Amino acid sequence: MPQPSQPLPLRPRRGFVAQPVVLTGLAGAGALVALVLASGAHLLLAVALAFALGAVTLIQARRARQEAGRLRAEVAQTHVEVAAGALTLPYTSVLNALPDPVMVISAHEPDDLTGRRFVMVNRAGRSVLKIQREAGLLVTAIRDPDVLEVVDEALFGGLEGEAVYESGGVQERIFRVYARPLGSASDGAQLALLVLHDETDIRRVERMRADFLANASHELRTPLASLSGFIETLRGHARGDEGARDRFLGIMHVQAERMSRLIDDLMSLSRIELNEHVRPLQDVDLAAALLDVVDALAPLARDKGVALEVEAPPRGEVTVTGDRDQVIQVAQNLVDNALKYSPSGARIRILLESGLSAEACVAPRMEQAARMSLLTPDHGPERFAALSVIDAGPGMDREHLPRLTERFYRVEGQKSGEKLGTGLGLAIVKHIMNRHRGGLAVESRPGHGAVFTAYFPLAHRRATAGDEAGTSSDDVIKLS
Amino acid sequence: MNEHIVKAYEDELNMLTAECARMGGLTEAAVADALEAVVRRDQQMADSVVARDERLDVLQADIERKEIRMIALRQPLANDLRRTVAAMKIANNLERVGDLAKNIAKRTIVIIDSDPMVPLTRSIERMGRLVVTRLKEVLDAYTASDLERAMSVWSRDDEVDEHYNSLFRELLTYMMGDPRTITACAHLLFVAKNLERIGDHATNIAEIIHYEITGDEAIATARPKTDALQRP
Repeated sequence: MPQPSQPLPLRPRRGFVAQPVVLTGLAGAGALVALVLASGAHLLLAVALAFALGAVTLIQARRARQEAGRLRAEVAQTHVEVAAGALTLPYTSVLNALPDPVMVISAHEPDDLTGRRFVMVNRAGRSVLKIQREAGLLVTAIRDPDVLEVVDEALFGGLEGEAVYESGGVQERIFRVYARPLGSASDGAQLALLVLHDETDIRRVERMRADFLANASHELRTPLASLSGFIETLRGHARGDEGARDRFLGIMHVQAERMSRLIDDLMSLSRIELNEHVRPLQDVDLAAALLDVVDALAPLARDKGVALEVEAPPRGEVTVTGDRDQVIQVAQNLVDNALKYSPSGARIRILLESGLSAEACVAPRMEQAARMSLLTPDHGPERFAALSVIDAGPGMDREHLPRLTERFYRVEGQKSGEKLGTGLGLAIVKHIMNRHRGGLAVESRPGHGAVFTAYFPLAHRRATAGDEAGTSSDDVIKLS
Repeated sequence: MNEHIVKAYEDELNMLTAECARMGGLTEAAVADALEAVVRRDQQMADSVVARDERLDVLQADIERKEIRMIALRQPLANDLRRTVAAMKIANNLERVGDLAKNIAKRTIVIIDSDPMVPLTRSIERMGRLVVTRLKEVLDAYTASDLERAMSVWSRDDEVDEHYNSLFRELLTYMMGDPRTITACAHLLFVAKNLERIGDHATNIAEIIHYEITGDEAIATARPKTDALQRP
């Protein structure tokens, strides 16, 4: 393997990111302050929460940058030791230990496309670019024309270059690619170094801030308009009218609660999104989590006259890799949705099946229903545990299915009861499932109901014994 | 892959795959950029997509020339022949995808003239990203000769169709609601249709990969198909 003749070019600092973030924050602050002035002190709490969200995202971005800085310092340290000649370092292990994908490319002729080969890829590079071999054709690893261009410039022009590379797929990642010339090898081939630096989180924070302001300001405006309307009425001609005041305060209370629910959901959605690429590592007892959720929602179901039927293996039988709070949130949102749309006297079936393949997870559970996968995990040989919630509500037409996980999307002509939803529940579920490398599917037949199936990858030691852990009719717990 | 006694032959075969992969990269970028031009209302980006299409046409003609030369000189058999034919067919499909991307970019110029319609462009973006992902997955499967991945693209073709149907209805509703948006909506409808066809080309490429690897071409008739005009 040709050795790099100079220390790895470490990327330039990225201070520039913080500024737009702060500026957008300020712009948002300005808008929100205006809202407060326009409406009254009732909203202060809501707005403060919105600010808190801004602060949380900013802090997390900073923490990620500090972590990256620490890793770079460690690598630089290694170089110093090598330069001092104190010890001979195995370059391959050093490169493999680097968190960023690194690749050495060699080529002879500018015209010869098959001549451009990667001759060394570190471990991170093999996993990001999904290549198994240590060497091969460059175009089989990266096809992006911008990247190929900067590689050519580095190989044949001796120029340093940068490009942006998007990895695509469900778990899309965005990299800044640095190409550096490395001179010629002993056989006359030109060499270049390619370093990919992950900028997904930074871009995500920027995009999220823009989205948050757009969505939230739109959704908050409705209850806000109603609140200010009532405030005006109470100060104007309804002043002194006791009956009207009580009634209006009641409505205002409902609107204020709606706003606070909305902000809670928005905050948890952004928290989940920030961690979407951080794979959760805890072992979670899915059966226990589900039964806890069902217990908690049982009173609500009783009030509505809806029966909850759970068919699940007993506690401790189904262990998935996940974040316990988020797993609970998935179960909670799905069952809660089913409750919202179920008429009185209906029943909701909740199934938990374990040891299924990805195909079995999305197998039909309702006859003659339109089916759609809302999230399909990237390819893997894993076994899953599937949680299905089957309601007998009004169902949805096929055309609504692809858009269900969109933020604030509502199926036309349907109301989720008097307790209006925020339109974020399924978006939250989808993002949690994506973080867990799981999937989400929906089936629906108008007039007959809907089925939502969320499936989590089983924890590894369970995955082998997965088949035995499947539901059998003996261990079914009935609850109604 | 079996080694060939004549190394130049092996090199030529690899060259074809490499050329196709490079063409794939250019096509992917064209589709992604055309989509971005529509969503971000970026005239400059649209112009650049239109300008780059010629390069794809040249590449496709070039690949075809090399193939014919190779078939004439080397007379490839069995899996070599399938590799050669597959590369030619894939290049054809990619060239069509490039044309569709160019068409999307051209329409952008009209769409930009009207007022922004955020919910619609958002739906287009969602559908477009799905199609771009599909195209990327199938090309990854091609460069890695991964039959399983190609088939996973093939079997999920109806997701794109569902998006198209949903978008179709959304556009109709918009046009009925406000006739001033008809010009832009009609163009968006074609953008959606073009994206749907790009999705179909991705499925075609998956079928070609299946043929290249297994030699079985019966799969083309077995695809689960959702028809926009005939639904339950």
